[in-house]
Amino acid sequence: MKTRARLPRLVATGATLALALSLSACGDGDGGASSDDGKIHVLVYGDASNKIEQQIVDTFNKTSDVKAVLDTIPGADYQTKLQTIINTPQAPDIFYNWGGGSIKPFVKADLLLPLDDFIKKDPGLKDNFLPSVFNSAVVDGKPYGIPMRGTQPVLLFHNKKVLEDAGVQPPKTWDELLAAVGKLKDAGVTPIALGGGDVWPTQMWFQYLYDRIAGPELFAKAIGGDKSAWESADSKKALDMISELVDSGAFGKNYDSVKYTNGGSVQLVASGKAGFELMGSWYYSQQLTDHKEFAEKDLGYTAFPTVEGGKGDPGNVAGNPNNYYSVMKKTKHPEAAAEFLKLMYSDEFVKAHLDIGNLPTTTNTDKFIDDSATPEYTRFQYDLVSDAPNFQLSWDQAYPQKASSDMHKAIQQFFNGQLDTDGFIKAMQALPTE
Amino acid sequence: MTTHLTSARPAAGSRKESRRRPPAPSTTTVGRPSFAWAVPAALFFALFAIVPLIMVAVLSFMSWDGISSPEFVGTDNWSRLADDPVMLKSIWLTLLLTVLGVVLQTPLSILLGVWAAGHQRNRAVLSVIYFIPLLLSATAVSVLWRALLDPNFGIPAEATWLFGDGNLFGEQTTAIGVLAFVSTWQFTPFHTLIYQGAARAVPQVLYQAAEIDGAGRYRQFFHITLPQLRTSMITSMILMIVGGLTTFETVLILTQGGPGTDTTISAYYMYDKAFKSFDYGIGSAIALALVVAATIISLIVVRVSGYDKMRSSMEGVS
Repeated sequence: MKTRARLPRLVATGATLALALSLSACGDGDGGASSDDGKIHVLVYGDASNKIEQQIVDTFNKTSDVKAVLDTIPGADYQTKLQTIINTPQAPDIFYNWGGGSIKPFVKADLLLPLDDFIKKDPGLKDNFLPSVFNSAVVDGKPYGIPMRGTQPVLLFHNKKVLEDAGVQPPKTWDELLAAVGKLKDAGVTPIALGGGDVWPTQMWFQYLYDRIAGPELFAKAIGGDKSAWESADSKKALDMISELVDSGAFGKNYDSVKYTNGGSVQLVASGKAGFELMGSWYYSQQLTDHKEFAEKDLGYTAFPTVEGGKGDPGNVAGNPNNYYSVMKKTKHPEAAAEFLKLMYSDEFVKAHLDIGNLPTTTNTDKFIDDSATPEYTRFQYDLVSDAPNFQLSWDQAYPQKASSDMHKAIQQFFNGQLDTDGFIKAMQALPTE
Repeated sequence: MTTHLTSARPAAGSRKESRRRPPAPSTTTVGRPSFAWAVPAALFFALFAIVPLIMVAVLSFMSWDGISSPEFVGTDNWSRLADDPVMLKSIWLTLLLTVLGVVLQTPLSILLGVWAAGHQRNRAVLSVIYFIPLLLSATAVSVLWRALLDPNFGIPAEATWLFGDGNLFGEQTTAIGVLAFVSTWQFTPFHTLIYQGAARAVPQVLYQAAEIDGAGRYRQFFHITLPQLRTSMITSMILMIVGGLTTFETVLILTQGGPGTDTTISAYYMYDKAFKSFDYGIGSAIALALVVAATIISLIVVRVSGYDKMRSSMEGVS
């Protein structure tokens, strides 16, 4: 049995390598880490937050006999690379992920260590984090991740000046939003900027509306494998409301040619060509980087509007609750890993993240907010997230990774009219849930 | 070895003479290359092309998500592919883009190449400028055009009379148009180079004779230059076709296969399945299908064009 399984694995690995080689000419660094060199390897998504992860690793190494090593992989390649090495000797001991569906396949393949034992020894590993955030990395009733960066709720941003000129107040309800769309159109601006070329920004409208109309239960049901959820009256109602919004010209006509990732939609709002944009909380620092003056003077933000008669609690938020560190089952140093994870609720960790604009989701965050770089904005987010009865993980992260491409296609096609309601429902029902 | 090689070349004094004549192979003192010379290259080719190809072929009969153990599923992947409307669509899109590439690039590069082979005043400077797109990586080119074609801040925002609302990436026709345009923009210089070289090699006596007979520039072009470029045209077209079938980066960066699946060409679909949906079995099947298709098409082109017979374009010259 064993030898039989080995050959296909070898062949498969080689073939992946071949596919990867033929596709990407660019080399990559040594993200590899074998687990028996007396060290623990921590694998993270390479970006601006790495300096804090390095700082935490350095702090850990000061007192620990087992040393931690930080390996980073450039963001765009992270998921692919992780998936490729996770079941090889190159696998790290601790790695960065998005909780939910992003780790479900690894849990299923029995690769991850349930953190129950860690938490039994140190209840702080659970109690020091906001419950709605901590729960996003619970799979099949067992915790598999410790929050390790900042929370990223999706907020409705706006250009204060544009709204003022059109005589519009930031909307609290869906009807107010529709009215605002009408007024902004009359004022000659695109009411809502949307980076439809990236598709994931489009998806944000779906996940919020579904939550407001049907509550989190519908999506929970759907992802639990009950595909009838997509055919429910609530689901159809949400789709109708989305169509209505699109057809009213709220997003203009060329949203699918606009991208968030190349700064297109960001600039639309900053330059006053659009009124609103629905985006993750990182939008603020993005605007601050791209259009400093605008961000400081005219960038406003509110929670997603409430929907009258909706079953979902208006306090619910959607987005990415946080990123998480998960531990591999085969790590040789579980005690060191547990010690390392404890640093994720330390004062040092919280302060360092607040300094670069991230909002950690630990219970001690509160006392440092007033000293942060943007206290008002940070406070708003913190209250929103800590008061939220439910934090809906982004749909494409909640579903297994293999579903995200097809989901994006369906969302884009429904938005631009290539799929009707039934077509969209069928496409969502066809997605693999595990 | 050096002396052998130099002796195969004409002596310095006779260079001018020899440029007009093909080298005569039979007079060289260099023996036939021994098979041993090919071993390093053959080994490399086997290691990096043949072995992976075989592995991909095996993987196309397995189901594998990259984590768990691969399982043999027989021809499952293949029958799924055959029934997959996106796969069929992707084949059509691939062929369409390939044909568009050949149709757009061939006339352009012939004209530019023939022009660049001349002795005009600003030729060298302009040739260098035309050549620049080829120096940029496909990624850089795609990022550049994505920004230039932004509907709100790029060219379409200024030229609304031409682009309308600028939704170039949101509709199938325009999205394909952009892809064809960007590939043309990038690869025309390369084919121009081929034609420039070929046009330079056309014996001047032909033109001199034509001039004496009173043929104008257009007749000279259509009756001498073009027929003389025949073999180069086939070379260039095969490269275009193979390039068209394997286009990838442009789609990845410009459209991501969208809107929906409207620009999902086969190579992108392979990437989508293997590296975004982690379905390596299907991805391998698509990859293998692409290899087979590209090989067959290249063979057909070579056969139909008579390229395999290597007929000399120097016929009737000397």
